[in-house]
Amino acid sequence: MAGHSSTEQDPGLTLTTQQPVAQQRIVDLLQAAWAVFVKDLRIELRTRYAINAMVLFAACTAMMVSIGTTFIGLRRTEEALLIQASLLWIALLFAAISGLSRGFVHEEETRTLAALRLAAPALAVYLGKFLLNLALLALLGLITSLLFIVLVRVQVGSPLAFLGMLAAGGLSLATSTTILAAIITRASFKNALFAVLAFPLLVPPLIIAIQGTAATLAEGGWLPALPALQFLIAYSVAMFVASLLLFRFVWEA
Amino acid sequence: MVQQMAQVGKLLIGLWMAGVTIVMFLVIPQYEGLGNAGRIIIMHVPTAWVSVLAFAISAIFSGLYLWKRKPTYDDYAVAAAEGGFLFTALATVTGMIFSQVVWGIYWNWDPRQTSIFVLLLIYAALFALRAAIDDVQRRRQLSAAYSLFAFVTVPFLIFVAPRIADSTLHPNCVFIQGSTCDGISLDVGMIGLLGDRKIQLIGMEREGDLVTAEVIVSEPGLSGETTLRPSFNLATGTMADRPEFPGLRYQLGLEYVDPSINSGLLNIEAPGTGLLDNQITLFTFLASIAGFTALFVWMLNLRADLLGLQWALAQRDGGRV
Repeated sequence: MAGHSSTEQDPGLTLTTQQPVAQQRIVDLLQAAWAVFVKDLRIELRTRYAINAMVLFAACTAMMVSIGTTFIGLRRTEEALLIQASLLWIALLFAAISGLSRGFVHEEETRTLAALRLAAPALAVYLGKFLLNLALLALLGLITSLLFIVLVRVQVGSPLAFLGMLAAGGLSLATSTTILAAIITRASFKNALFAVLAFPLLVPPLIIAIQGTAATLAEGGWLPALPALQFLIAYSVAMFVASLLLFRFVWEA
Repeated sequence: MVQQMAQVGKLLIGLWMAGVTIVMFLVIPQYEGLGNAGRIIIMHVPTAWVSVLAFAISAIFSGLYLWKRKPTYDDYAVAAAEGGFLFTALATVTGMIFSQVVWGIYWNWDPRQTSIFVLLLIYAALFALRAAIDDVQRRRQLSAAYSLFAFVTVPFLIFVAPRIADSTLHPNCVFIQGSTCDGISLDVGMIGLLGDRKIQLIGMEREGDLVTAEVIVSEPGLSGETTLRPSFNLATGTMADRPEFPGLRYQLGLEYVDPSINSGLLNIEAPGTGLLDNQITLFTFLASIAGFTALFVWMLNLRADLLGLQWALAQRDGGRV
């Protein structure tokens, strides 16, 4: 009789004890990730290495485009909008490539990789660095588009859709490159290699982002940009999940 | 014994490919409208197929390496990537030659050209990564991770990109007879798009069982217009007269007419002598795919064995030093 009652109670017991444990683990992971993010943000704010590199690059590009081709800002043909969108994403891409590997390369340069490996679980490190890259890209996207609006006379026809496009494009940049930054920390020719590894993975989302951004520069609202947004978000989700699965192997290598 | 069988296999592959080449140039008929240039499809499509297959095999062995940590798997992943790079280059070059001969342009950023270009870049990036890492263990693990990560982009390249971009020079559903272009249903007086041509259904007339549609077809860029009269047999439920598009080898078919004769389903069709319609062409094509696949598998095994041998030698020498 006693044995019967204990078998009845067991599943309930394990359920009530396991669920909080799993939840607790996720909360711990997210807290660790947040700690990594805050640490990196603090380092970045002290040195401002990545922000400086990225913003200066974007500013230079916007200046060059402004000096060379101001007249395209005055036209509103379909081709002119595509050219404006391409130039904007060229500036964003190369600025991003010059700064996004910073999070991991910095750890290697200051020889803090081993300490970080001891202090935080792999996924927390990835999520922390990913958040930092996302924050950097958000800032870079806003500054670069402001520069383009002011210097290149880009007129944004549908501002909300344009912001959505910038966010989705930035998301796919961050999801595709964060794990690559971890891969190149242990290689030679780090920055050149980062560009080489990142470019093939960025071709599909960038093509779509350029087309979508060109659509948002015209006065069409959300609808013309919707397929591009869907593609970018799907791409980001796939790359993010793949990164979560693969990061363990990169981190322990 | 195994070595002898490998020798025989090598010879067989060589003879097989020689046979395919001879048939490709001398036996199969020309494709209507493309002339001799059309023969390149016997080489182009199989190499493109092998380049994607190689990429998949490389990713599979990369995954196996991360799982089991056996150096052999890494050797196979590298060998597949190297073979794949070669075949990707071949597919690109044969495609470019055909493109220049038939369409007058080597490269036009067609979605499929974009995807194969990205594939070439990924292979190049993989080799650059391997060259940049000195530690063997680390090199294997990181390149396996990158290979798998890059593989995630493939479904997007293959399935999504061609659907978002507007135009392609590559043959689509039209090219192979019996495959299904969806066609377009139009009411009388309505305008629609079929391939890259604007069409307008002007009217439909019934004579006995035969319904004839009057369709205005505009050239791309609306530079000219032609009137075509495809017809449909109501009694048998089949297409009757299928006129050719002006300047093209494709035909306009009236696939279905609704009973009130107010709307019809118009579709673009490949002409009667389709490329794969011909039995010899079809079999040569399949033989070429089989031959190239066998060639790739042979190359893969050879190269992987060689890499394993190199590694064993390096370890032995390292042990002595």
